[in-house]
Amino acid sequence: MSESPILRIEAVTAGYGRVTVLHDITLEAGRFGNVGLFGPNGHGKTTLLRTISGLVAPKSGRVVFDGKDITGLSARAIVATGLIHVPQGNKLFPDLTIGDCMALGAYSPRARPHEAENREKVVRLFPKLAERWRQRVRTLSGGERQMVSIGTALMSHPRLLILDEPTLGLAPKIKDELCAAVMDISRGGVPLVVVEQDIEFLLELSRQLFLVDHGAVKTEIRPGESIEHSEIMAMYFGH
Amino acid sequence: MSVFSDIFFGGLFQGSLYAMMAVGLALVWTTIGVFNFSHGVFMMLGAYFAWQLVAFGLPVVIAFPLAVIVMAGAGWILQASVVRPLIGRPNIVLVVVITTLAAGSLIENGALTVWGPRSKQLPSLIEGNTTIAGVGVSLHQIAIIVITPLILAALWSFLNRTRLGLALRAVAQNEDASQLVGLNVTALYGLAFAIAASLAGLAGIFMGGYRFMNPSMGADPLLKALIVVVFGGISSISGPIFAAYLIGFFEAASNYYFGLYWTPALLFLVLIATLMVRPEGIFASRSRGLA
Repeated sequence: MSESPILRIEAVTAGYGRVTVLHDITLEAGRFGNVGLFGPNGHGKTTLLRTISGLVAPKSGRVVFDGKDITGLSARAIVATGLIHVPQGNKLFPDLTIGDCMALGAYSPRARPHEAENREKVVRLFPKLAERWRQRVRTLSGGERQMVSIGTALMSHPRLLILDEPTLGLAPKIKDELCAAVMDISRGGVPLVVVEQDIEFLLELSRQLFLVDHGAVKTEIRPGESIEHSEIMAMYFGH
Repeated sequence: MSVFSDIFFGGLFQGSLYAMMAVGLALVWTTIGVFNFSHGVFMMLGAYFAWQLVAFGLPVVIAFPLAVIVMAGAGWILQASVVRPLIGRPNIVLVVVITTLAAGSLIENGALTVWGPRSKQLPSLIEGNTTIAGVGVSLHQIAIIVITPLILAALWSFLNRTRLGLALRAVAQNEDASQLVGLNVTALYGLAFAIAASLAGLAGIFMGGYRFMNPSMGADPLLKALIVVVFGGISSISGPIFAAYLIGFFEAASNYYFGLYWTPALLFLVLIATLMVRPEGIFASRSRGLA
């Protein structure tokens, strides 16, 4: 069960301009399947994901994906390795249609040969998108946008999928739908790194959790270590 | 009847030139989010390159397309030298206004040094004149009126029907998300500038065929193109195209009824009135994006 980690973050320090957000953060993902990240807002979870996917260049430290050092590579080069980052889904491409977004997802040369097969997968996973294929993203609901966001990433033929708060701000019903879809993706064999506020969902999805606080890993929960909801709440609020 | 057709042809012709200029300006704004103030100089440069190639003895059918291609390269180089290094700065819009103005001024004076201040003229696309609906028009003008919509349609289908066009539209809307699907954002920025510069160059070639050229010939068209994009809405490329023709017709009518001197003032009056009612432009949606 204990495989080699697919993603290693080694002592990464990163931020924006003079502001440092991540302080010497280290973590390993993939040895126990999916990984969940949680923690208070504004403590570097999104910045960590942006650093992994090359949108933010780390000031020091290393990011290793599947044995390959990807530190400081461009986002495009990182997409080409199969590490796909799904940003928070509310922005996206407002004036493109769903079909356009899917075509964009398959833009990289690595993903292009699998375009038809991946499109089928996305449609099976999110039948709602197929009904609205020619509709612009701006006219979709929050949940549907999140589906487009995840669908676009699946079109990129991911070997590792990073999700940034996939259920943020969604109504309970659509949230359940999305959680089920994410579980489906995971069962399909794509390992996940998920940032999420909904701890119940994270616990269901992954057996390895990290609490990110003040730009560093404060606590790691490993498989086999049972954890009570109240304990997590305590970590959250620092009592 | 002849008055009407006079205004109609004049408007169509001016509108074509404005559309050609404004589309490039809008393309750069939507993709990169900057205003290119050397756009008028691109127009001049295209005309002078074409003139030079014709002077070398190349036939027009080779010289003109070649000049347009050279302009694409010039646009790329300008983008790489005075725009790309500044991307990511918080005040990029203002900084790029200055850098492109500076580059434009350098190029304009460079052209003055190389080609001299004496006015030049390009051969017409087609020689000769004809009479349509009681108005005498040159075949050159007819050619421009016909060619411009074809080129704009080609640009539209490039943006909407090809994978590369899709990538350009995507970058225009969300740079981060574009990077996360693996788009080469810097190359797409270069492409937007290259396309804009060749369209401006072509407009310059059109203009050089019926008016005398000089190194500062791009200043007025740049101003008009700015008015057009602000009037039509900077967030799309179809908005400026409609606005270009609208302004072309307005100018032609105003020139006829109020005279040449009143036209610029009236134009600005209309612009200000429009912006008071619809600050985002008359044909615009509220976001950036190519459609």
